[in-house]
Amino acid sequence: MGASAFLAVTLGPTGMWWTHLLVMVGVYALLGLSLNLINGYGRMFSLGHHGFWALGAYAAGAFTVHTFGELPGPLAFCGSVGAAMLAAAVGGLLIGVPCLRLKGDYLAVATLGFAEIVRITIQNLPEDFLGGNIGLTVPRVLVVRSPDTKGDFQLLWALLLLLAVALVALLVRNIVRSARGRMLLAVAQDETAAGLLGINPTRSKVATFVLGSALAGLAGALYAHYQGTIAPQEFTFLEMVKMLLVVVLGGLGSITGCLFAAFLLLYVEQVLQLAGQETLPFGVPPLPASWSWLASWWSVVYALVLVLLMIFRPNGLLGSRELPDLLRGWFGRRKPPDSAEAFR
Amino acid sequence: MSGALFEVDCVTKRYGGLTAVCDVSLELAEGDLVGLIGPNGAGKTTCFNLITGADPCSTGRILWEGRDVTALPDWKRARLGMARTFQNIRLWKDMTALDNVRTVCREADEAGWLDGLLRTPRHRRVEKAVTAKARALLARLDLERYADLRAGDLPYGPQRKLEIARALALEPRLLLLDEPAAGMNPSEKQDLMRTVERLRDELHLTILVIEHDMRFVMGICRRIYVLDHGERIAHGTPDEIRRNPDVIAAYLGSAS
Repeated sequence: MGASAFLAVTLGPTGMWWTHLLVMVGVYALLGLSLNLINGYGRMFSLGHHGFWALGAYAAGAFTVHTFGELPGPLAFCGSVGAAMLAAAVGGLLIGVPCLRLKGDYLAVATLGFAEIVRITIQNLPEDFLGGNIGLTVPRVLVVRSPDTKGDFQLLWALLLLLAVALVALLVRNIVRSARGRMLLAVAQDETAAGLLGINPTRSKVATFVLGSALAGLAGALYAHYQGTIAPQEFTFLEMVKMLLVVVLGGLGSITGCLFAAFLLLYVEQVLQLAGQETLPFGVPPLPASWSWLASWWSVVYALVLVLLMIFRPNGLLGSRELPDLLRGWFGRRKPPDSAEAFR
Repeated sequence: MSGALFEVDCVTKRYGGLTAVCDVSLELAEGDLVGLIGPNGAGKTTCFNLITGADPCSTGRILWEGRDVTALPDWKRARLGMARTFQNIRLWKDMTALDNVRTVCREADEAGWLDGLLRTPRHRRVEKAVTAKARALLARLDLERYADLRAGDLPYGPQRKLEIARALALEPRLLLLDEPAAGMNPSEKQDLMRTVERLRDELHLTILVIEHDMRFVMGICRRIYVLDHGERIAHGTPDEIRRNPDVIAAYLGSAS
């Protein structure tokens, strides 16, 4: 009862704008965190993360459609999330096992091809199966109270996404700071040395790749449930560029950087869409209508930012540092570097 | 031959038209401390690569306790008990010295991905054991004070010693040292010689060492193999090698 009393808040337009932003930030943060595991910590260059995202979204959608009315709502939701992660993990295994034995850029090409195959297959399957070009409608299974209002729905999803992001950020941190994580970092830094010191590089890479794919599947499931309709056109390479930007902007191997970058990117994107409007939600700077061209050129802008970052900061803005370390560095008492102390 | 821990049996390695190692045989018994020397480009490091599986042999066999391991991948051979260091230092530079050692401790295999993910008691127990072992190894090589520094930031000598500590984390029976004293000053070299001998005695290791520094090799090795142009040209005790005319010719050029 406590939860529903809490959710009885009515959201105004400002609240709706912010909850929508939070949900989208959450989705891209999940995608960024999972891609960071593969591209950042693992130094494998995958360009097919949007394929695993799509796999997850469609697996969750199909599961929900087929079990609708038969399973209680929360159970259907949990089942669909499980199905999504499983589908994406299997996809990751299928593409990872043959490709990760090879060194070099084979993975980038293979994963990119895989994602295109996923998208085009969905597009060309009969419409009564996955919706084809028109898209798949995912019935709403999580209802706060009836009648269900848009405000309740938004708030519920903002909270769910916050929870999911916190959980996944914790999982990624745990992984990286465990024995398996150290092996992964070792393989990423010098695969030959790792192999000669008893670490199985292929196994380490495949496991990471599968885990990253499964987490992208989770993002897909949450996205599908929130949107209510998913269509193949939403899972294009442009989305991959956006995810890469989240990872690179935040720093390859930085969790907090990833979260910050996802927020920054989505905030700017959503603000630009409001350029020239009279009444604005709280926290949105008023932009003249002349700025709306930027909204239509937005995908060019972020692709360009990605190119510039790749040239000038290939390890990302933060590198592998975390935001708290950085802030401590800026505002805290300056300590002499540790290394200087040890040589004294 | 029986009793040998490790044998290289008539191994050849060709890269295209170039024969880097030609029909070389080596044999090490348990507890041996053997040197592998030769002029630059003689094929010493290639030999190490063939032994450890970094490169496949063109022909010939690698035997471990009489068992043919030629087809095993590098990481499986390492787990049998052969560990190596590298001529051009290959530490994981962005990790701390401690983590470099911890990563190689095979005790860590007991905890799977899920243990790390969920921080199970098993994860905690394994981390504790691995950390204790790694710290003990760092202490053994007198590297404790560098434990929490980034490996790439260490001075040159300690980096070389850290490579040895990392290799020892595998609990190897055969330790392959590729120019461990390169770039060290004379006192560091003296110190390293004593360390290598001490490690062999304390940990019951068998050691094969590539080294250019003759004082180092002659000082600690019981036997020495000499390679030149990929072929084994001599084998014997340090005294025999010092007097061997082929060896002198290989290093100084023949008089004729």
